[in-house]
Amino acid sequence: MSAHADSQHHGPPIANQSSRIDASVLGMFLFIASEAMLFGAFFTAYFFVRVVNPEAQSWPLEPFHLPVFVAGVNTTILVTSSFTMHWALQSIKRGNRAGLKAGLVLTLLMGLAFLLTQMLEYARIGFNPSDGAFGTIFFGLTGLHGAHVFIGLTLLAVATVRAFRGHFTPEHHHGVEIPGIYWHFVDVMWIVVYATIYLL
Amino acid sequence: MARNPLSSEAEAFRFLLLTVGYFAVIVAAAAIATWLGVVAFVVLSSAVVWFWLRSRSGKPARRADV
Repeated sequence: MSAHADSQHHGPPIANQSSRIDASVLGMFLFIASEAMLFGAFFTAYFFVRVVNPEAQSWPLEPFHLPVFVAGVNTTILVTSSFTMHWALQSIKRGNRAGLKAGLVLTLLMGLAFLLTQMLEYARIGFNPSDGAFGTIFFGLTGLHGAHVFIGLTLLAVATVRAFRGHFTPEHHHGVEIPGIYWHFVDVMWIVVYATIYLL
Repeated sequence: MARNPLSSEAEAFRFLLLTVGYFAVIVAAAAIATWLGVVAFVVLSSAVVWFWLRSRSGKPARRADV
């Protein structure tokens, strides 16, 4: 690059592309890998607790009882919120602003309902994180997921406010797409947590 | 290179539906009998790995710009 061209360049220097993979794709892969390792560490602890209790006839051990039905309803709420999130994005791609707003508000409300139900579940479950290894890992895993839901809700709240201010168009809707990807990822993790801890 | 399941919202939504289906089959099989749940897990996981390997081999290798 010539000295003249250098003097014309404004802003930070262009990033060096040393990888063969596109930077955004690489970033997403690293994000997924880090999240998989984070949840994987908790699941390893959970399965260890199960393996070292081979004499257990049923799981979880007495006196622990999990509210499978309430958590199942909560799971339905969260999966439904993914459908409304998908609807919101498809709406703005077609230029339907009302659909975008309705989809985002419904997703936000269902996410809040999920988090509120989980808090009520914690209050009424009858044990706490200090009640043995199972109590610790139960609150650890579901709490880790709850923290992810909270982050997702924050992203969704920002997207919803922007949608009501008229920020998105059929061509430019990155601010809805990214929270949508994150929201579906959080749902996937809940399916794994619910199936593993409550059902299997 | 395998396809990134979170490369777009539509891909992530599809990935979620597949995950729901995957665990629904395993949980339903395990509810009938534990050994059946293990069989469902092994069969489905093998199918996922097979599809993943097949999608990898179907694409040409990437070359670095020199």
